[in-house]
Amino acid sequence: MQVRYYTPMFGAAAALVLLLAAEPALAQSRAETLRYVTGASVNTLDPNVPGTTREAFAVSLSTYDRLVSFGRKQLNGKWVFDLDKITGELAESYDVSPDGLKITFHLRKDAKFQDGTAVTAEDVKWSLDRCVTAPVLGKAQLLTGSLTSADQFKVIDPLTFEVTLPKPDKLALPNLATVYPIIINSKLAKANATTEDPWAIAWLKEHTAGSGAYMIESFKPGEQVIMKRNEAWNRGTPDKSAFFKRVIVQSVPEPATRANLVERGDADLTVDLQASDVQSLEGKGTLKVISTPQYNAVTFISMNNTIPPFDNINVRRAIAYALPYDDMFKAALFGRGTPLFGATWTDGKPTTSAYPFPQPVKLDLDKAKEYLKAAGMPDGFSTTFSFNVGQASTAEPMAALVKESLAKIGIKVDIQKLPDAQMSTQINEKKLPFFTEGIVAWLPSSDYFYRNFYTGNQRWNYSSINNAELTAIAQEARFEPDKTKYEEDGKKLNAIHFAEMPQVALWQPSQDAVMATSIDGYTYQFHRQVDYRDLRRK
Amino acid sequence: MSSLPALFGVLVFTFLLMRVLPGDPAVFFASGPNAGKEEIEVIRKQMGLDKPVPEQLLLYLYDVGRGNLGRSLMTGQPVTTDLRDRLPASLELTLTALLIALVSAIPLGVLAALKPGSLIDHGVRLFCALGVCVPTFVSGLLLIYVFYYLLGLAPDPTGRIDVFTSLPPARTGFLTVDFLLAGDVDGWWAAFRQLILPAGTMALFVIAPLARITRASMLVSLGSDFVRTARSVGLSWWRIVVTYALRNAILPVITIAGIVFSTMLGANVLVEKVYSWPGVASYALDALLSSDYAPVQGFVLLMASIFVVVNLLVDVLYGVADPRVSI
Repeated sequence: MQVRYYTPMFGAAAALVLLLAAEPALAQSRAETLRYVTGASVNTLDPNVPGTTREAFAVSLSTYDRLVSFGRKQLNGKWVFDLDKITGELAESYDVSPDGLKITFHLRKDAKFQDGTAVTAEDVKWSLDRCVTAPVLGKAQLLTGSLTSADQFKVIDPLTFEVTLPKPDKLALPNLATVYPIIINSKLAKANATTEDPWAIAWLKEHTAGSGAYMIESFKPGEQVIMKRNEAWNRGTPDKSAFFKRVIVQSVPEPATRANLVERGDADLTVDLQASDVQSLEGKGTLKVISTPQYNAVTFISMNNTIPPFDNINVRRAIAYALPYDDMFKAALFGRGTPLFGATWTDGKPTTSAYPFPQPVKLDLDKAKEYLKAAGMPDGFSTTFSFNVGQASTAEPMAALVKESLAKIGIKVDIQKLPDAQMSTQINEKKLPFFTEGIVAWLPSSDYFYRNFYTGNQRWNYSSINNAELTAIAQEARFEPDKTKYEEDGKKLNAIHFAEMPQVALWQPSQDAVMATSIDGYTYQFHRQVDYRDLRRK
Repeated sequence: MSSLPALFGVLVFTFLLMRVLPGDPAVFFASGPNAGKEEIEVIRKQMGLDKPVPEQLLLYLYDVGRGNLGRSLMTGQPVTTDLRDRLPASLELTLTALLIALVSAIPLGVLAALKPGSLIDHGVRLFCALGVCVPTFVSGLLLIYVFYYLLGLAPDPTGRIDVFTSLPPARTGFLTVDFLLAGDVDGWWAAFRQLILPAGTMALFVIAPLARITRASMLVSLGSDFVRTARSVGLSWWRIVVTYALRNAILPVITIAGIVFSTMLGANVLVEKVYSWPGVASYALDALLSSDYAPVQGFVLLMASIFVVVNLLVDVLYGVADPRVSI
């Protein structure tokens, strides 16, 4: 017996409490627990806080419900989210008025928050008001669906809620299924709000007040989150809660360690291994590897269209024909993804209205030299090629190949590896002439991509392209109700993209989910994280 | 007290250095899809970066004076909370590693010094050279591969404790100590097993300087007059080596051990990363990469303070080892 500074009675009581607390944890079988390991970490419980990590998004999807969610579909035999199929989550059903200006949501009668109180239209209004009014991330997202002001949200009765739009916007409904417009228990949140912080941003960062499938058991920012199942939740499969009783989200920074953990069966699932590790694990055949091309993402080599010599269209074209695509694809990704090069356009016109699309470019040094000559630079020039440290495992081999290949047409490239914060700062200031980056869109429609990544003097316009025609078509397509016309617009946009060559699209990397063979139900989601509610153990 | 100006200098220097470094934290943390100018401004305001640098510095000093080190954007927590949670992890790891290193380095150094030029001496030299040459992340991954992956002897290398084990009530923050205080032997064993591989990895790296310095200073002390006298009066071998030679040779070892400890605490970032150890060094590195000012400044201040404390401790130990020294 050790010396204690409190009375033995208290000590015994404490030991008993400890024992009782430990008992259910021990009894809970490993099979009912999902252990997910990741290189990133969860930093907040409210996905709306500026600076939220992607892992935090994934956790919030399980702890909160939204009005609606995306359905899923099969793409080449793999389950992916379906942008065109919006199903109810907290809403049992919804109606869109014939003119497309009013969306009415009918809430579930049985939905309860995790503290047992019923979910009402008042909570929905408070939550969506918060999303468009408070200084949170949801504001900029909902803007893309014409949701900008609290006046647009109206409570009809405790179970009916109405959203009014200024224009029929295709993206209004999908926006409500994204990560930000979570439905918060407004009474609980208001009770913890202060006068300086009326939207309880500080409190919700550390606490959850939702109705989601999982409740937070413990939250250690940067280390791990443990969640337990909300038995009352039935928004996935009707009348059923989520499968796993417990979900452990654990940060393991070293990718090799993550690979070891999954291979030894100590962890159940991971989605951010290095391509080389995935390759070898797949070869061993003892684990399930689901590789889904990230069809809402694209990795590209961008040129700043305003910095010489890249302001010259022929220089950009020369680069496009001087990149060793196949070698890069193999060296960087081990071929794990969908290439966006080497397409054939028989009549010289885009074959698809979708973005990203495969372009008819391939390594052709003679053609590249001709373009350089046409640009008035037959002897080439010098430039720097930048990438960030966070992407080094794929970008480093790629950069070496770019340097080697461009040297053959006289372009001298210096490789510049930048810390992540420095890279984003320089991109924001439009100072990098030539670099690689990746983009992703939660709502991957063509006009959305073009509006966000190829127009305006803003951060996400990586190439700083300023093409009046492209901007006009993209803006118009946003509200184009006619499907055929919309597709025509998409093809036109793709044609301009190819003609202008602001940046060279390379590929869509695969999301490699590596999991124990017993795990079932994995679906590739728009946020590129795992939705724990999808998963089961066979 | 006399170290306060130095600490103040460190504080101001780090503060200015972080602002000079290229890389805007606001831009980095506003990286979510759709985060535009407005989000960047919100974060900038939150971090107080919208004010001129001198004003920022004054505000920062005022906050530090009140024990507030600011808030980390990365973890969303106050830096003091983060450091308080993570420092015990780093200290526990470093102290264990230092203990392992001392326990193995001093006998190795003594053995090597007793028979200079012998096979043992060369063996120790080779071992030390290997320990220093192999970077810690290589030896770390190698140890994981052998003991966890191949043999299955070690627990999974994910932090201080198996996720399925419940934690003891936090008293000291040192898990091995807390488990003992709670009387939980199984828990202690679990925590100890997690600790042994990372501590071993770190020890491997620092055995070399400790063993080399022990050897060198033992050689000096074995060749000195008092040892010759002790030999000539026929004292036992053990007494000569341990009481007379080693005690006199230990002073430089203590100095080096103090320096090694301070370096290890800050520089064990690779070990912390490989073993997912939730320590202060990996925290500071992540913060540095994302230009998260407050944690980096807090970390440097913490390290500087620890350095001061360790130096003080080394001085006290001097007095214990050599009664002639007084502080």
